[in-house]
Amino acid sequence: MTEGLLYIQTEVYPALLKGFWVSLQLIAPSALCGLAIGIMVGVLRIYGNRPVMAAANTFVAIFRGIPLVVQLFIWYFGLPHIGIYLSPFLASVLGFSLCSGAYHSEYIRGALLSIKRGQMLAAQSLGFSKVRMIFSIILPQALRRALPGCGNEIIYLIKYSSLAYMITCIELTGQGKILASNSFKYTEVFLMIGVCYLVMTSVASIILGRVEGRLRIPGFEQQRT
Amino acid sequence: MMRHHVPIFHTFFRAMERMPESLIAIMDALPYLLQGSIVTLIVVVGAMALGFALGVPLAVGQVYGHPALRRFIAVYVWFFRGIPLLVFLFLFYFGLCTAFDINLSAFTVAIIVLGLISSAYQSQIFRGAILSLPEGQLKAARALGMSDFKAISFIILPQALRLSIPGWSNEYSILLKDSAVTYALGVAEIMARAHFVATRTYQHLPLYFTAGVIFLVLTWVGTKALRLLEEKARIPGYSPHGL
Amino acid sequence: MTAPILRIENISKRYGKKDVLKGASLDVNEGDLKILIGPSGAGKSTLLQCINFLVKPDEGRIWLDEQEVHYANKRDLYAYRQKVGMIFQDFNLFDHLTALENVRIGMVRVKGMGKAEAGERAVMELERVGLKEHMQKYPAQLSGGQKQRVSIARALAMDPKVMLLDEPTSALDPELIGEVHAVIRDLGNNGMTMIMATHQIGFASSLASEIVFMEDGRILERGTPDKIFNHAENARTREFCSKITELYGERG
Repeated sequence: MTEGLLYIQTEVYPALLKGFWVSLQLIAPSALCGLAIGIMVGVLRIYGNRPVMAAANTFVAIFRGIPLVVQLFIWYFGLPHIGIYLSPFLASVLGFSLCSGAYHSEYIRGALLSIKRGQMLAAQSLGFSKVRMIFSIILPQALRRALPGCGNEIIYLIKYSSLAYMITCIELTGQGKILASNSFKYTEVFLMIGVCYLVMTSVASIILGRVEGRLRIPGFEQQRT
Repeated sequence: MMRHHVPIFHTFFRAMERMPESLIAIMDALPYLLQGSIVTLIVVVGAMALGFALGVPLAVGQVYGHPALRRFIAVYVWFFRGIPLLVFLFLFYFGLCTAFDINLSAFTVAIIVLGLISSAYQSQIFRGAILSLPEGQLKAARALGMSDFKAISFIILPQALRLSIPGWSNEYSILLKDSAVTYALGVAEIMARAHFVATRTYQHLPLYFTAGVIFLVLTWVGTKALRLLEEKARIPGYSPHGL
Repeated sequence: MTAPILRIENISKRYGKKDVLKGASLDVNEGDLKILIGPSGAGKSTLLQCINFLVKPDEGRIWLDEQEVHYANKRDLYAYRQKVGMIFQDFNLFDHLTALENVRIGMVRVKGMGKAEAGERAVMELERVGLKEHMQKYPAQLSGGQKQRVSIARALAMDPKVMLLDEPTSALDPELIGEVHAVIRDLGNNGMTMIMATHQIGFASSLASEIVFMEDGRILERGTPDKIFNHAENARTREFCSKITELYGERG
């Protein structure tokens, strides 16, 4: 028993910590970039002119329709075909940002659609330019409405960051695989890893709930369908 | 960081140069890839079926069951929705199978794991649908003398399941994409085959594009089929309550 | 004197801190039409739902045909409910079934009748309420009055001994109330025992064998329509009735 505990302390713990750190480094920038892309694309899908809207919609259809694994493989194994070489880390962040950006844009788009037309008319009659109107009036409200959806997408991101392993970026799951292969303690290691992710997603959910609560404006809630 | 500074034109020409061999590679590999799509579809359909078979009782238990049962189901859902698919696949295939000395193929494990995770998500879809029905439906059924089991089977579920079809359609496209992850266990689905051919022909980009297109087609076909199902099951004039 | 077909003794129900029903008792003879009147929140609906145990009373006992109903025993409860039909304010037709299937399902799934036999009986009941031509329609395609008539047919198909009607016309547009009243009057003339909660005083007094006035969870007074409306003993009863007749006009 103590031998097992010692093993955990000297080998497992540091390896998992290293992996966890890499996971965080993957998740944070991807979440931010993804959200930024999502807002931009969402806005373009609603307020852009015809060709821009079509391009944005196509982007979303493709990146939501193709499995993330395929996307990652294209960035890491595929790009060298035309001479671009990305590190596993960079390919992962790129893949996660674009894919989650497409999903975020769906929620942003839904939120933008739900803002009453009257808001737009009022802003326009006050003399706001289209761009100003979008950023000062509409978007702040839309972001509140999109929060549950976007928040959920970030929780999904925490989970699918594990796929970075498949293009050789060694994060938490990857470290686990290495550890387990060396020690043959597959069940224990992966249970621990599972628990780590469970903790991450649960903490994220709680934070999301808190933020939603903080930002709540009385009477503003969208009708839950 | 990028290893080479690559001017845009250079990249473009390189791609155009390799076009003909790319197309040949795709044509050659296509039958092999399409066979993979059959494997993919079986995995997806199997997982959806398992998810359904477990999801319905879970949903019913969560809405109508004993408080202790409800708590257990809530924990089950939290557990299966909180851990990445890849971790579950490794845990089951390498971990539990060896621990309990069960000899299952990667294919079987893939269906089981995807099915269990899907059951957690599907249970919430069904639960939402059940909760959206007016209270009066159950009351009227009880007033006629139906047991709760009969009331749920003949009155609640037929309506709730109809309402769940859009959510199910969503679940299909998610499972289809998740099936690509099972490549990590060696399941011979589309991604695995694309990678296999790519490592031999060095035609990575064209082959993964092709794989992507196949997935898009499968998604489109499946979604259309489910929309047909929704049309068939539609009750004239019936609209979801509260909408 | 023959024994009452339904006897309700001392029913009480509490929700949290609020006493919704306080010791209500009632005897119903065969062929009676008892009408419950009273302000909102008086407990009329709760009392009706306690009678067929859709709401479990905290205290009280019920006898049908001299047999006490032990609702803790599931099989007894289901058998009892088959003999007590209920009509809801919101109709509560099964939305995924046609009118015919709605009427038929109780017979097939609860009584265990064959589909063909049940189907024939269902058509008969729908004819009785005047809706035979609409039998293949779904609830969403029916008007409110038609829905309520289907729900009456559905209850009748179970051959109940007593019918409970919980404000059957409150959710209907005024011009549709008449058709439902016609069906209820018909039932009364054919000897069905009924307990009905309603705000439709005119209709009630023309049919009722007894009016029961409830307020605050208690039965304050009961008597013939003439007595309650013209010579009520209780001050609250008089107050309520005068307001109602102002509102609804005609009586009797």
